[in-house]
Amino acid sequence: MDSITALLEGFATAAQPEFLLYALLGVTLGTAVGVLPGIGPAMTVALLLPLTYTLEPTAALIIFAGIYYGGMYGGSTTSILLNTPGESASIVTALEGNKMAKAGRGAAALATAAIGSFVAGTIATILLTLLAPTIADVAVQLGPADYVALMVVAFTTVAALLGSSPLRGLASLGLGLFIGLVGTDTLTGQQRFTLGVSTMADGIDVVVVAVGVFAVGEALYVASRLRHGPIEVIPVGGRWNTREFWSRSWKPWLRGTFIGFPIGTVPAGGADVSTFLSYGAEKKLSKRPEEFGKGAIEGVAGPEAANNAAAAGVLVPLLTLGLPTTATAAVIVAAFQSYGIQPGPLLFTNNSTMVWALIASLYIGNVMLLVLNLPLVKIWVKVLQIPRPYLYAGILLFAALGTYAVNFVVDDLIVLLVIGVIGFFMRRHGYPVAPLVVGLILGPMAEEQVRRTLQISEGDFSALVTSPFAAVAYGILIVLLTVAVVLRVRRRKSEVTV
Amino acid sequence: MISAKVEEYAFGGLVAAVGVFTLVDATTIVARDDNAVGPRAFPYAVGVLLVVTGIAAIIATARGKLGHAEEAEDVDENVRTDWLTVAKLVAVLVVHLVLIDVVGWPVAAALLFFGAAWSLGAVWWRALVIAVVLAVVVQVVFAYGLGLSLPAGIFEGVPFLDG
Repeated sequence: MDSITALLEGFATAAQPEFLLYALLGVTLGTAVGVLPGIGPAMTVALLLPLTYTLEPTAALIIFAGIYYGGMYGGSTTSILLNTPGESASIVTALEGNKMAKAGRGAAALATAAIGSFVAGTIATILLTLLAPTIADVAVQLGPADYVALMVVAFTTVAALLGSSPLRGLASLGLGLFIGLVGTDTLTGQQRFTLGVSTMADGIDVVVVAVGVFAVGEALYVASRLRHGPIEVIPVGGRWNTREFWSRSWKPWLRGTFIGFPIGTVPAGGADVSTFLSYGAEKKLSKRPEEFGKGAIEGVAGPEAANNAAAAGVLVPLLTLGLPTTATAAVIVAAFQSYGIQPGPLLFTNNSTMVWALIASLYIGNVMLLVLNLPLVKIWVKVLQIPRPYLYAGILLFAALGTYAVNFVVDDLIVLLVIGVIGFFMRRHGYPVAPLVVGLILGPMAEEQVRRTLQISEGDFSALVTSPFAAVAYGILIVLLTVAVVLRVRRRKSEVTV
Repeated sequence: MISAKVEEYAFGGLVAAVGVFTLVDATTIVARDDNAVGPRAFPYAVGVLLVVTGIAAIIATARGKLGHAEEAEDVDENVRTDWLTVAKLVAVLVVHLVLIDVVGWPVAAALLFFGAAWSLGAVWWRALVIAVVLAVVVQVVFAYGLGLSLPAGIFEGVPFLDG
């Protein structure tokens, strides 16, 4: 009951005109960056970080949460209407949605994606409201060894289990961990890996790394193989508000929600996994499996719902444990830290007003996003048609601006360029960039917890695994790894026989 | 395809080299406490991870397992790498960061946008107009809206542009 009261108070805060405007700004920006190729929510939040230092933390976090949710909505518009595959989380949507649009049923595809996202986003936010305080209560009792275990699980799943090449994921994680090491050691106060450069003593700023790897890296990569010629946007056709639309959509929405939310919550997720699972489930349960691959509405409704539910699920470990499991979540953790707030179990006691206003703003943001993406979808179709030279020039300009605005020193721009070039080569050779950002943010936290554990145990390494919670976490991780290896071997065998 | 392999070797080598640097430089970190893990242990672990994954990437390349280039909406997989455009964009960014302290942010920013858009195939005069408008608008918004003043450079003392 306490959390209901707290939530109502949160609504009272978030419903102030000023905060409503910030929420609207966030979801609008989020939808825009979701629609536009080449930029995503992680990079947008990173770019806005230096610009929001003058705002109070609640306002800034409401904007960031809006960008995060909005990015999920916007991505589906692009994958349905653009003739080319989109952001990873919405590729599954492209399978059916693109076919529907080409068959003149674009309106139905867009509507089931938007309404499905709304239904899933709202239900998942309710689950977040109910679960988060309880998990935070339990999490308060976790010791440093337990946190080490959680971070090891997060590192392994983000780097090795997701993505096509575990090896390259781990290499990317290693690079992120290394960048996180640069600077002054918090416990002994000495400089590490700064090469004697004074500006490096404070470490390499998360904003510079995130913007470099996402914005500059992406812009250089796209420039190297830019698709020339006109941008082919499929015209939106057909009616959507029909009896068949609702009867075929509502079950996939709910199923997608309950597939997506748990997957987002455990650090084994990311939205992609949930969309694939939802797609598979819909295909299996459908009475018309022959329609799949030719424009089945269930194949848009389910994955889109799963995608948004997973996004809300990611907020559970983020807010209750301070554990980011996606690149965007990692940048949001950095945002909290820049305001001197450490997300984790104490957030609900120490910053209760702020966190409940944030959760309330998620409900409000979802309603705004439904309006922005259903009746107003035509605006985003226009945004999608921005000529690419101007789009990528703009991305580079704002990347340089955002980086320069962190400290107003040119040195940061040099670091930005170097990291951008590294991000370019990573994309060329299949190194995922998300592990780098997660490693950069979680690495210093992990080191601190390891050292605290060993200080308490006076150097006894077994302390890292003897806490029951940590032991269970490592056990689950071993099971996950085994399953992943078995699946990989099987897939390879089946490829050989085929 | 030969060049793709060379690049993969180079990137794997770079990862391993960063690892070696980590391991070597970590030995210079002063560790005082005897029983607890000091400021060296974590860098050693990261160094080992980098060396192992870097070498593994080289071995994988030698065995013909190349990475899959990332897909994106605006990326055409069927065209050859346009190195010239990539080089132009890098050059434009270098010019931008060198010029900020010389002529100020507005001019450096306008040149960055113009240079990038032009390299990517925009019509030159249209790119120039948008670049100038964008740079001036951002400069004014920063000075008066956000209270952060970007260096005005040659426009120092000019009303609106110098915050």
